Amino acid sequence: MRALHLTLAVFALMASVPLLAPNAYYLHLATVVLVFAVALLGLDIIIGHVGEISLGHFGLFAIGAYTAGLLSVDAGAPLAVALIAAGAVSAGFGAVLAFPALRTHGPYFAMVTLAFASIVQVVLNEWTGLTRGARGLAVPKPPLLGATLDAAGFYLVVFVVFALVWILVGNLAASRYGRSFQALQGSTIALESLGVSATASKILAFCLSAAVTGVAGGLYAFSEEYITPQAFNFDLTVVFLLALIVGGRANRWGALVGAVVAVWLPNLLGDIAAFRVMAVAAAVLILGATARSVARGRHGWSAWIPAAVAVAVAVTAFQLETMTEQRLSVFGLLLLGAIAYLPEGLVGTLAAVWRPEPDSTSGPLPERGAAAVAEPVDGTPVTVRGVTVRFGGLRAMSDVSTRIETASVHGLIGPNGAGKSTFVNTLTGLYTPSAGDIRIGDTSIVGASPAQIARLGVARTFQNIQLFGHMSVIENVLVGLHLAYRSNLVDALVRSRRYRCEERENRERAQALLAFVGLAGAANQDARSLPYGQQRLLEIARALATEPKVLLLDEPAAGLLPSDIDALMAILRRVRAGGRTLLLIEHHMDMVMALCDRITVLDFGEKIAEGSPDEVTSDPKVVEAYLGATEAAA
Amino acid sequence: MLDVLPQVLVSGITLGTIYGLIAFGYQLTYVTSRTVNFGQGEALAVGALVGLSLTPMLGYWAMLPVVIVFGGLYGLVVERIAVRPTLDSPSEGWILATIAFGIVAKNVSENIWGKEDLPFPSPLPPLPIEIGGAFVMPTELLIVGGALLLMVAIELFNRFTLLGRAFAATADEREAAGLVGIDTEKVISGSFALSCATAACAGVLVAPVTLTGPGMGLVLALKGFSAAILGGLTSGLGAVVGGLLIGIAEALTAFYISTGYKEVPGLLILLAALTLKPEGLFGRVLAKKV
Repeated sequence: MRALHLTLAVFALMASVPLLAPNAYYLHLATVVLVFAVALLGLDIIIGHVGEISLGHFGLFAIGAYTAGLLSVDAGAPLAVALIAAGAVSAGFGAVLAFPALRTHGPYFAMVTLAFASIVQVVLNEWTGLTRGARGLAVPKPPLLGATLDAAGFYLVVFVVFALVWILVGNLAASRYGRSFQALQGSTIALESLGVSATASKILAFCLSAAVTGVAGGLYAFSEEYITPQAFNFDLTVVFLLALIVGGRANRWGALVGAVVAVWLPNLLGDIAAFRVMAVAAAVLILGATARSVARGRHGWSAWIPAAVAVAVAVTAFQLETMTEQRLSVFGLLLLGAIAYLPEGLVGTLAAVWRPEPDSTSGPLPERGAAAVAEPVDGTPVTVRGVTVRFGGLRAMSDVSTRIETASVHGLIGPNGAGKSTFVNTLTGLYTPSAGDIRIGDTSIVGASPAQIARLGVARTFQNIQLFGHMSVIENVLVGLHLAYRSNLVDALVRSRRYRCEERENRERAQALLAFVGLAGAANQDARSLPYGQQRLLEIARALATEPKVLLLDEPAAGLLPSDIDALMAILRRVRAGGRTLLLIEHHMDMVMALCDRITVLDFGEKIAEGSPDEVTSDPKVVEAYLGATEAAA
Repeated sequence: MLDVLPQVLVSGITLGTIYGLIAFGYQLTYVTSRTVNFGQGEALAVGALVGLSLTPMLGYWAMLPVVIVFGGLYGLVVERIAVRPTLDSPSEGWILATIAFGIVAKNVSENIWGKEDLPFPSPLPPLPIEIGGAFVMPTELLIVGGALLLMVAIELFNRFTLLGRAFAATADEREAAGLVGIDTEKVISGSFALSCATAACAGVLVAPVTLTGPGMGLVLALKGFSAAILGGLTSGLGAVVGGLLIGIAEALTAFYISTGYKEVPGLLILLAALTLKPEGLFGRVLAKKV
């Protein structure tokens, strides 16, 4: 509630800016702040949620600006049409950009986006017939509903667009789509294993991000009333980036605060008197912070560097008459300081101070959800025929055949390097077999993508835990419930009744699944803060959320304490009782022997034995594989 | 039109080797720390400007080693101030931090050398030499020769010296490299020193044909970055091939199509290459175990 009050107060203040602004200059600055804030809300979908650094949003911003500007100037389109078209055209380009960007990360992703935007800039500059090229395009503010739009009126238009985008982006972030974007930065492999296409999620994120930034570009054209291709350059991307990082990402307030900083700071830095005060305050603060951390025995002399720089800047501030020439240096130093000392941004840092500890007491277990977990599910048999997997010249699996029956626990054991994880990875579509056939029920899955296989009812856990670490425990399970929703993107954006209903039901269900694995009390913690053993249990809960017919467990007991193993076995027995098909890879033999109905033994990629636990343990080939040659044992 | 093709190719190759050399600068730090200096253009410009100021005192040839040492020191400062504090933070703070450092460096050099571009005296006489139907300026030969020499030196260093092996080990697995006694912090510092030294050297090499000024590095650095990404950030050969592809595409487009669009084909090649091979033409795929 407190957060809502704060939001309403700030929005009321923003709405009254035309009354408060002392002159047209400040009103224009406020307009630009909101335009930038809209652009940043769009950029944050990629940077804050998907977790990749885009250097190309200035291109999308330019596309929006020129679309709106040209439609208004050449076609006389009304304001609303021009803005909607700006968003739509930009979204189209966003979708195109998504393809080269799909499989790239880090610097490669940054370069793809930058290359795209550079091309946009060149085309805008050179296609003079359409854009007027370097001469620029004058874009008078169009009338709104027949009335001419003055600066105050236009500010209110921008404010309304900003408020709308604020709400829509907030709804998006809280929805299953927002969660799938965040999951992309946790683990795309895990996301796919839950039946959610990482490709589709990324393209959607790009389109929405581009649409919002494009609308901002349209607003910018009308706000400035004159655009040139040169206005949309690499410097603009730097401004966007710094605003978002300094403001704080994955947070709407970060975008707003960042926009304020990016637009007002250059003006503030023009004033030497104000700057002197700021520089002294900063020097004192940084000196204090450094002294404290050195007193705690951390760092060597290098810890004093920022303090020394701050003092030097403060001293220099009093030597200078004006600071127009040094403005960028100060700007850069402020940035460096902000990045080093406020990695979560201004808003993130403040929020961490104010935010109450996550509520760790669990509510009563919702009855309906609890019953749902135990509901019987029809399992599906898995048939593997003559499967061979090659990596270059290496055969990780050769000619393996087996059948995993419904409502059974099938063990898969073998020494390290026997090909057990390869088996699971092939079954889930991460690797494609070079020969042989795998069927889930009657459906062959050779060549299908991990997400397609997951949608056939195959879920898995991972030997190397693949949680969405920065998301909460319950959100991890909710990603598993992604396909349980019937409501669509529009429902999610406007929070329709259908959507809210489903969201509540699925939250209850997720809570029930957490209770099922004993994690009900940890629902709101970050997944990465869980102890190792509980992370494995969370992976099981997340996999169960997809209501799998087949559940593949890759070393679920690795790293667990003996007491946890007992709990795990109880959980797995209940899962089997529900009728699911289970494949268990495990090194804890007591557990394998106690749980499994049948066991397949792999060694060097070949099946060397199969049968009941007793048959397998007495098989001399198995003993040899585990203990070495029989002669040596004798 | 075709009779000038050799001439166009010469200018493409000259550009391309410079892009390749700058690309090496990105690779050096990427392999040790998975970061690159987005202020590499400023390192290049500052290197050229220092070289410009030193040339009247030392002459061109004696100035070179001093600029290289200066570039190395510059790199150490970049690493210490912009990269190390942000290296282990989950966000990619280093991208912005290195950009911010570049902003400061550019502004400081504007205050020292002014904003105007200055001519850089060429050490070689402006007498074109004919090679295979194309006229080549001695300065262009110096650029290509110098860049190739540096690239070969870096490649030899990476492959055959103990320190170079330490770079590679740090690249593969920072923690494990630390466990076997490699001071990974020093290795990363060293890679930044080497990277900025390379950029500074590229700066003095190109300065006679471009002009020298605080803003000279931005476009060159972006082209170099494109080259590094196109070739793959983990391959020296990739940097050279990436640089040449982009340089030649640019020269051909500028001459046969339009100077305005000269950057577009190279960027399109880049986008196409990354669509098909997200790790770059010669990049290694790091298998992730799940």
